[in-house]
Formats: sequence, structure tokens, C-alpha cells
Amino acid sequence: MNRVGRWARAWVALAAVVVAGAVAAGAGLARAHGEAARGPSPLIYPRQSIPLRFDHAAHLARGGTTCEGCHAAATTSTAAADDLMPGEGACRSCHAIDRTQPLKVIAGKPPARCDACHVQAQVQVPAQVQVQGLAQGGEGGSGAIGAAGGGGDLPRVVVPRPNIKFNHQLHAARGVGCEVCHTQVARQALATEADLPRMALCLGCHGGGPKQPTARCGACHLTLPDGRLRVNLAVGGPLATAITGQLAPSGSLRGFDAHTATFRTDHKTAGRDQAYCLTCHRRSECLDCHNGVVRPLDIHPSDYVTLHAPDARRNTPDCSSCHRNQTFCVGCHQRAGVAADPSGGLPGRRPQNPFGTGTGVKSFHPPAWARDATGAVLTAPRASSHSMQAKRNIRTCVSCHREETCLECHSTDPTRGANVTPHGPGFADSSRCRALSRSNRRACLKCHSVGATELDCR
Amino acid sequence: MHCRLLAGAIACSLAIPSVGWSYDFAIDVRTVGQGYQVRGYAPDGRNQLLSRRRLTQYLNLNVYDIEPARWKDPTGGRNNLFVDVSLRFDSDFGGYLLGRPRGDDEIRELKQDQVDVLYAFVGGRGVAGRLDFQLGRQIHFDQVDFYSFDGGDAILRVHGPLYAEAFAGTEVRGELPLASPVFELDGTSAGSRDPATRPDQARQLRPLVGGALALDGDGDGDGAGRFAARLAYRRVWSATAQPLPGEPATGVNDEKLALTGSAAWRDRVFATFGVRYNLLVAAFDDQQIAVRVRVAARQWLSAEQAYLAPTFDGDSIWNIFSSGAYRDLRIGYEAGLAPGVRAHARAFLRLFSATPGETVAGQDLGAAAPGGRLAGGGSAGADLRRARVFVRADGYFDDGYGGRKLGSDLSARYALRPGTWEAEWRLTGFFWRSDQQPATNRGVVFGVQVGSRYQLAQGMRLHFLAEDNAGTFYRAQARALALIEVDASL
Repeated sequence: MNRVGRWARAWVALAAVVVAGAVAAGAGLARAHGEAARGPSPLIYPRQSIPLRFDHAAHLARGGTTCEGCHAAATTSTAAADDLMPGEGACRSCHAIDRTQPLKVIAGKPPARCDACHVQAQVQVPAQVQVQGLAQGGEGGSGAIGAAGGGGDLPRVVVPRPNIKFNHQLHAARGVGCEVCHTQVARQALATEADLPRMALCLGCHGGGPKQPTARCGACHLTLPDGRLRVNLAVGGPLATAITGQLAPSGSLRGFDAHTATFRTDHKTAGRDQAYCLTCHRRSECLDCHNGVVRPLDIHPSDYVTLHAPDARRNTPDCSSCHRNQTFCVGCHQRAGVAADPSGGLPGRRPQNPFGTGTGVKSFHPPAWARDATGAVLTAPRASSHSMQAKRNIRTCVSCHREETCLECHSTDPTRGANVTPHGPGFADSSRCRALSRSNRRACLKCHSVGATELDCR
Repeated sequence: MHCRLLAGAIACSLAIPSVGWSYDFAIDVRTVGQGYQVRGYAPDGRNQLLSRRRLTQYLNLNVYDIEPARWKDPTGGRNNLFVDVSLRFDSDFGGYLLGRPRGDDEIRELKQDQVDVLYAFVGGRGVAGRLDFQLGRQIHFDQVDFYSFDGGDAILRVHGPLYAEAFAGTEVRGELPLASPVFELDGTSAGSRDPATRPDQARQLRPLVGGALALDGDGDGDGAGRFAARLAYRRVWSATAQPLPGEPATGVNDEKLALTGSAAWRDRVFATFGVRYNLLVAAFDDQQIAVRVRVAARQWLSAEQAYLAPTFDGDSIWNIFSSGAYRDLRIGYEAGLAPGVRAHARAFLRLFSATPGETVAGQDLGAAAPGGRLAGGGSAGADLRRARVFVRADGYFDDGYGGRKLGSDLSARYALRPGTWEAEWRLTGFFWRSDQQPATNRGVVFGVQVGSRYQLAQGMRLHFLAEDNAGTFYRAQARALALIEVDASL
């Protein structure tokens, strides 16, 4: 036990050092891109380009200015793709903009110079060029979403279509004020995609309870015709190159659902709720691995047949999540010559395979596994005998053997021979014995005869 | 007489005017061809490579929106009716099958041709806002269970977050027509010929009934919940085939009670647990508890404790032989190090518990047994994702009970033409050593894979992969895979 204790302590110490080191290194690196991490997913809100100078806080503090005053279409919009950016016309109600006078200044009035709002117009002399550019782009806010337009020298506002459903009109009609979702906008200058509402905020109301708005994923996320979420999303953006990405849970909902680098091999906990998985996945995707015909290459590496023995003995990963011992494992082992052949288990027959315990030319099991050096059946457990392994981890045994192998020695049938009991001390009085006997005596009768007193756990 | 009545009824039903409605469907068809070699042993003990050739055809069909128009809900959340089917045709040929057990010894998964209905059912979601149902062959899984049956399942929203579920049918078994044995309880073999193992029992139908009560804090069960719990019960039994005098008329094959649950604190701390009590052996055979903490925006720290005791079909004698169990402690760390860069590190420690009678004359036989009582190991890796490139590297080391393994894996994917044509590579190398086998007890393997995926048209992809391995036991072992996939929604 001391050896076991030292082993365990060494392992825990090593694991603690490795994990602590990894956390420390990861924390440092992750902090380096913390800003990016805090932003919303570019898959939902593709990156915007708003080359404008604007201060929401200053405008709202002036009094009389409301959200709807500039974003007039917001209260009637029914789709997230609607263009709700105010056009120049909305600004003109206060700012005396005159495109023929880009440097226009009126004392005591709101600025009317182009570069008062347009960022890259601040160092400008060729006003005519800029005016021409503006004229080509028209007044329509962000114009054609994502398009470069004919903006001349002025960079255009680009607000790509978000990959989400949203109905402003419905929310406004139910009394949800702008600030409920756009929480920080009234306190800051320019609003960007970073100020758009995140899922956690939505779920504050959309709890899915009897008196709450729906929490159905497809109510907000884009869906395929069959109702599953659309996960392959096109991400437009300021750049001309179109990028596609895949929507996957970040873990903010359930933690264990985060599709991290190890998720494919460790999703048992996340998969406890198949309805949740089926929000995005087809049912058949489960069976591609869990009842598949193609070896998943990222789970079982090349030539896994050679490597699988240590994994199978340890049951890591859990073999039974995809394979059945008495069909898949036994079948392959018999065919590959590493299991007792079918005839070998029958009374009076000896196995013919090279790894057999009898005439086999190779020995799979160590000496004194089931019989001693004289060939006599072992009746008392030894450290190296099969009983230790069978009691501890019989799954390993039954990947090659079937019940008849055990019956060779463990049956009470006198014609079979040894009659070695596999029951440990205290089994007859145990709840396990009583439960098995009560539930299915057929298993007991494979070794015991009808009417035997042992069947009643006595 | 019966035929005439039936014909008349069909004619009447066709003659009655009815309201027609439209529906949509999605078809996913995949054809997989594989040729590979399996390492084995010739009767004289020499190493040999068995050639295996497989051709597999999948057909997945999903028909939806089949509810009448007047049932439709504009939000899409109610009264959805659908049909979901997955069929598989698998042909296996080549030298691998030439020497397979035949006749009475035939093993289902070594048959030359297999036709499986993996699942096929008609289902409903949000019927009258309260009922979900499935009727047909279906697969169910949760944290501590994975089973399949032919029958019906209904989930009723009783009140608020409380749901009640009931299901009944017959267990899907390999011996049934068009059925895959993967979902069958393990422990018995239809290929057994020894009369004492009662091979006839394998052909018996196994009725299954069960039910569950669930509390789901996210209401619609769609993921927004802060808590959830489910208590489920399942019982499977069968009649005794050709009972002998004194034998019971029936026997229970499976009877389990499972409690699973989860909870979350804000979006930072998540906990989940699952515990399963096996009434067949009057013992807990599966326990899990896990905690996951978001330590930073894209960093996760997780810890898990698990207990697993192997149990089998009630007809198997191995429920008696197996008295051991193991406990696991697992920890893991995952982080997004930079945009497109992820890393992970994981470790586990396993302790096999002592079984009755393991200490003899003061000696702990379990600790002295090959491999001892402990196992442990870990893995670490990182991946990099860019617009056209994906690279991943992993390394692992396990030791203790079961043996030692040490290896690494390096894979890469490059988009030659983004969205259309990708090339992929994988390099693998590992060493392993058995803690128990006296022969062929260690080896080294190096493998290389090269592949390509090509999008022929929208929803139509072609995938090729070639693999070669060399190591202690052979100079070359080849594998080739070709896959064509057609995915259409109409």
C-alpha cells in the first residue's frame, strides 16, 4: 500500500504542477487577447466598420433627444437585417449640413463640417472629391450593407447583416425599452457591435417558463428548414473577403457544452440531454461514431488495433460507449486469432488458436493464470491468477471469452470438472445474491442445478 | 373474407375526400468504401495481416412539417410532426471474413451483409404545447444510459418545469431482423453453442417499460436552464425459452434507477452529476460528479470524480463474477490562448477498489497483481485555426494498470480552394507496453495519413484517405477510405 500511496502522491503532485503551469501560461496568453475574447461572437455580429465620430451620451444628455428620434425605423423593424442606422437626413434636423460647404461653421449651432462626423474627412482639402463621393453614396445610412459603394475617398459605414433573428417592433410593442437591451449605449460615445446584446442578456427574459418568453434556440438563431440551427454562417464584414465560420456553444449556457478541443472525446456530460444536442445536430451524427463503420481518426489513432489493449484494460476511453464485448470484440478477436475459437469452449474440446491456454504456441496470459505448473486448476486466488483480473475488470476477459469458458471450471455440474466457486466471502448472505436470485434465476442455473439450496442465498 | 373486408376498407379510405398538405424532407446519403488490413495471428503463431474490404451505404431521411396547416404555429415551437429514419447497408468482404465463425457460431457483427434500421420513428414536438412523442425504433441516451427500443415514448409537460415521461416497447437486439447489436445489453452471446449458456434465450423478445420525472429549469428544454434533474426507471425482462422443470417463467434482464442533474451559477460555475442504481445487483454501478469553472473569458478548469462497476445483462453469469469497481479523479484545463489558438491539458488518476477476498494471509493480492491497483496519465495539446489552415498536435502518456502508452499525434488541414478542396495529413507515433502479457508485450508504431476532401457541388462531398503504418510487428499496413456524401433538403 505504501507503494500505491507513493505512486498516487507523485501523480497528484505532477498533475498539480502541470495544470498550475498550464493555467498560469494560459492566463497570461489569454489576457493578451482579452479584448477580443470579451467581444461578441463575430459569427453572430460580424465586424462592423463605422468610421464616424458620434457621442450617444452627449446627444442624450442634451435633452429632447430620444433613440427613436434618430433611429426612426427601429420601432417598426421586424428583422435584424433591417438597416436602422440613421441617414444624413436625421442629422440635418439639428446639424445644418451643406454638402457644398464641407467646412461650414455656424457659431452657437451644432457643427456642420463634414469632418465633425466623418473621421477620415478631418484632414481634407480636396472637398470637391469628397462631396462627389458622398453624392454617389447617397444618404441611406449604411447604404447597401457590406458593399463598398461609391464612397470615393470617404470610408463607408459597413454594418453586415447579423446572423440572428430579431423583431424590434414586437419588443417595443411589449414595452421593452431600447436601454433594456442596448444597456451601455446611453453612457458612451460611438456604439459598435460590442454594444449589441449578448445571449445572456436575452435569456434574462427568455427563460422559457410558463409566463416567460420562449427560450427555444430557433426563436433567435437562424434555422434550417428542418428546424435545426444553421451553424455554418457567412461572416461578411469590412473586408472584401467573405469568411465562413461555424457556430458552436461557448459554454455560457451549460459549461460542459463548450465545444473545446477535447469535446469530441469527452462530451458524455454535455450529451446527457439529447434534445439539446439535437438543436444543431442530426441524430445520425451520434451513430457515426457510437455505432459507426469508420474509425474516427481523431479518437483512435493510426493502427489503433495494436494500441488498443492498454486502453481496453483500463477502459479509457469507455469501450462500451461504442462497442459490445460479446459481439464486436469477441468477433474480431476470434478472427484475428487472439481468442478461444468457438469450438474450444465446448466440453471436451481444446482451443486451437495460437494464444490458447492449452495447445497454443504463444501464451497470452502469464503463467499460473488458471492452472498451476502441473496443469491443475487453481482453486485459491493468487496475485497473478485470472480471478483477480476477472473480479476487478471482467470486461477485459469477455472481450475474448464467452460464458462457456467460465463454466469449464466454475460450474457445479460434476461432468465439467473443477467446481471452483467464483463467489467471494460473504456472497451467500449478500444483497447482491438475493437481488440476482430474485430477479433472474436463469443466470444462477447456468452453474447451479434446479433445487440447489445455494439458489436461495443460503 | 378478411381480405375482402380489408380491400373494401382501403377502397373506402381512398374514396373519402381529404385535405392534403405539403411537407418537406432532407436526405443524407453516404457511400463509404474501405479497404484495410487487420493485424492477426496465423494458427502457427506468426503475425499476419488480414485484408478487409467494406462497402457501407447510409440513408438518412428526415420528413418534417407534416402537420396540417391549421396546426402550424408561427413561432415554430408547437405541433411539429416529423419522421426520422436512418438505414445502413454494410457489406463486408475480403480475406478477413474467410475464416470467420459460421453457422451456429456466427457472430452478428461478422456477417457478410448487414442491413440495419438504426432508427425509424414518427415523432411530435410541442403537441398542444405540452406533449413530445416518438413512435417506432428509437435511441435514447443520457449521462448514465444508452439504449434503443422499438415502441413508444411520450414526454408530457405537467406543470411549469415539471415533465413526466413514459416509454414502452421491446429492446433492440442483434438477433432481431434489421437490428444492430450495439445497443443490446452486454454479457451474453448468441454465438455460444454450450447448452448450459442457454443460447436459445437470445431469440426471445425483451419487453421494456420505463418512466421518468424531470425538472427542467430552462422550460423548453433548450438550454437556457440554470438547473435540471431527472429521475428515470427502466426494466427489461424476457420469458424463459423452453423452460426446464423448476426454471422460472421469466427473468429480469435489466432494471435500473438513474438520477441525473445539473446546476449553474451565473455563467461561471457549472456542476453536473449522475448516479445509477442497478436493482439487478442491488448496487450503485455508475456515479459521476463534475464541476467546470470558467476562470476567464475562454479558459475552463474542470474536475470530475467517477465510479464505475461493470454490470451485465441479467442472463449473464458475469454479474456474479464481477465484484470490482474503479474510482477516477480527472482534472482538465482548456484555454483559448489567442484568436484561433486553443490548448488543453488533462490528467486522470484511477484506483481499483479491493474486492472481497482480495487480502489473503495479510497480503494484498490486488496491489501485487500485474499492473497494481492504480493507473494514471494525461494528455496535452494545442490547435491553431486560420482561414485556410488547421493544425493540431497532441501528446499523451498513461501508465499503471493496463500498461504504458506514450504517443503523439500531429494533424493538419489546408484549404487548397476554400470551401471546395481541402488536403489533410496526420502523423502518429506511439509506444506501448503491456503490464500482463508475456508475449508480444510491447511495440512501437509510426503511421502517416494523407487525404483530401472535395466539394463536388452544393451538399455533395468526396473524401479520400490513405494510411500506412509501420512498427514492431510489420513493415507496412495499408488502409484506404473513400467516402461520397450527398446531403439534400427538398
